[in-house]
Amino acid sequence: MVAVTFEKVRKTFGASVAVEGLDLSVADGEFVSLLGPSGCGKTTTLRMLAGLEQPTNGTIRIGERDVTDLAPSERDIAMVFQSYALYPHMTVAENIAYPLKKRGVPKPERAVRVAATAKLLQLEALLDRKPKQLSGGQQQRVALGRALVREPKVFLLDEPLSNLDAKLRAHMRTELIELHRRLGKTMIYVTHDQLEAMTMSTRIAVMRGGVLQQFATASEIYRRPANAFVAGFIGTPSMTLASASHRGPTKLAVGGAEWTMPDGHVKSLPMGAALTVGVRPDDVLLGSGPHRALVKVVEPIGHESIVLIAAEGTDLTVRIAGDTPLKAGETVPFDVRGNRLHVFDAESGRRLNNDRPD
Amino acid sequence: MNKPSRLRIVCINVVTWTIVLLVSFPLIWMLLTAVKPQSELFRIPPTFLPQRITFEHYARLLSDTPFLTYFGNSIVLATATTILVIAVGTLGAYSLVRFRYRGREQLATLVLFTYLLPSVVLIIPLYLLMVKLGIANTLFSLVLAYTTFSLPYALWLLRSFMAEIPEDLESAALVDGASRLGAFWDVIVPQALPGIISTALFTFILAWNEYLYALVLVNSDSSRPLTTGVMNMLITSFNIEWSLLMAASVMMSIPLIVIFAFLQSYLTSGFGVGGVKG
Repeated sequence: MVAVTFEKVRKTFGASVAVEGLDLSVADGEFVSLLGPSGCGKTTTLRMLAGLEQPTNGTIRIGERDVTDLAPSERDIAMVFQSYALYPHMTVAENIAYPLKKRGVPKPERAVRVAATAKLLQLEALLDRKPKQLSGGQQQRVALGRALVREPKVFLLDEPLSNLDAKLRAHMRTELIELHRRLGKTMIYVTHDQLEAMTMSTRIAVMRGGVLQQFATASEIYRRPANAFVAGFIGTPSMTLASASHRGPTKLAVGGAEWTMPDGHVKSLPMGAALTVGVRPDDVLLGSGPHRALVKVVEPIGHESIVLIAAEGTDLTVRIAGDTPLKAGETVPFDVRGNRLHVFDAESGRRLNNDRPD
Repeated sequence: MNKPSRLRIVCINVVTWTIVLLVSFPLIWMLLTAVKPQSELFRIPPTFLPQRITFEHYARLLSDTPFLTYFGNSIVLATATTILVIAVGTLGAYSLVRFRYRGREQLATLVLFTYLLPSVVLIIPLYLLMVKLGIANTLFSLVLAYTTFSLPYALWLLRSFMAEIPEDLESAALVDGASRLGAFWDVIVPQALPGIISTALFTFILAWNEYLYALVLVNSDSSRPLTTGVMNMLITSFNIEWSLLMAASVMMSIPLIVIFAFLQSYLTSGFGVGGVKG
């Protein structure tokens, strides 16, 4: 069953296009992340779903219901804001009870549901406090509680972890995953942090410039990015993207070198076609191979080392497990895994690999 | 940082207290004169502290003059003006801050144009307007007149308060099930309360102390406020009833002092802090 559908949704602010021709279907119970850089249209998309922005064109459905022109209060959704948006003059209990009060839930039932939500999120001791007396993590849980108490069809979360410190963010990420697993509700989550998106989501919608780039599982997006933008955006450290040209069914000219790949790895292309080749840091093998590179930077992180090498006009990022004896200034042989190269059209960025189904 | 010397602290205190006493002397003299017997008022040499305290002037003011009528009129006038200005001002400021429409900024600037003109220029057309509306010589005409010069300032003051309120709070209220007006009442008004109270205080004081419009627009005792009523009652070409005037002045000050004392905490408390992170 489809929980949320965007059909050719477009949003403009004056002459500026924030979202262009968005077609997206979220299944019931999915945790979908809208991921992309600042200004890509992800928050605008979420706000259109919430009813806080009106689409310029297109249709939005929640279930079978067309909600495009409905007020936020009529959509059966709940939202957690990046700023939490707790009502400062109300206590924690009053904040959580507010959505129930607005929907005319009787006072005794309100108290019961608020208590249950507070227990779920370990807020019982904080019910009489005001938001200003809470820590960031506590405020975030209250914002979650206010969303949960109504038991809506769809949860919308607009970068709720971005104001937390790294440790708390990691903890809350786990809590959200657990919450989603327990509730089984549809959640749509906006983030610019790919780690959040990759670890929490059933599927990820990568956006750029208001246009949906790819909508797939984290694994699919990582292994088969639909275009050069997605390839460079997903993965830490980022995939190296270098200019290349087609030299035959098994050869690519990259900088001053020639890289090989299996026959049939990419679609049929004209000789000399301008390409962009992408290689993940894990797919560059140092220590042996037909190519040589100068080590520019070595960054030991502890459990791994990140090495930047310069190879005939191309800088490559390499990930090595554990420590490495390599030093900057050294020359090192290397090879790339030809069957793991990602090839894109240089102009459109479109993926050109012949991807076989799993 | 060096501690200021004792001499410096003493000098600062002496100067400060001198200024305080100079500024408050008329007020102190008013309080003391109001409880002095008539015989002591013009004694040479003058006495500062009353030799005998009497409340006869207050008693005479309340029983022998229409002071209470004027007082009631002023209460009604100032309260009604304040309520009207706050009601229109908060909604108007909300519109200026949250809604996008053509001419919004120009409208906000235009409302201040009334302050470019002196009151005497506006008073004749206002009077004629009240006559045409059939409400001349009534308290209601004063309420409308006072609203015309209180509302622009109220709009600007409330606008700046409301602009500080994060939009996310209203968005959250809308998503939580509130209507637009519900979100305004549940979220905006509580957050703008210090601004609303400041505006209310300003408007109340303005309406309470206003003299010129009251003098021109109202001329019957039943509708006169305190300002013109007391002047009319106690000050003539031949005589000024100083004792009654001082007693009336003290009583005219009481509501303002009470309101200030009651509302001061609202002005200084930290509303709105902590609700929105970052």
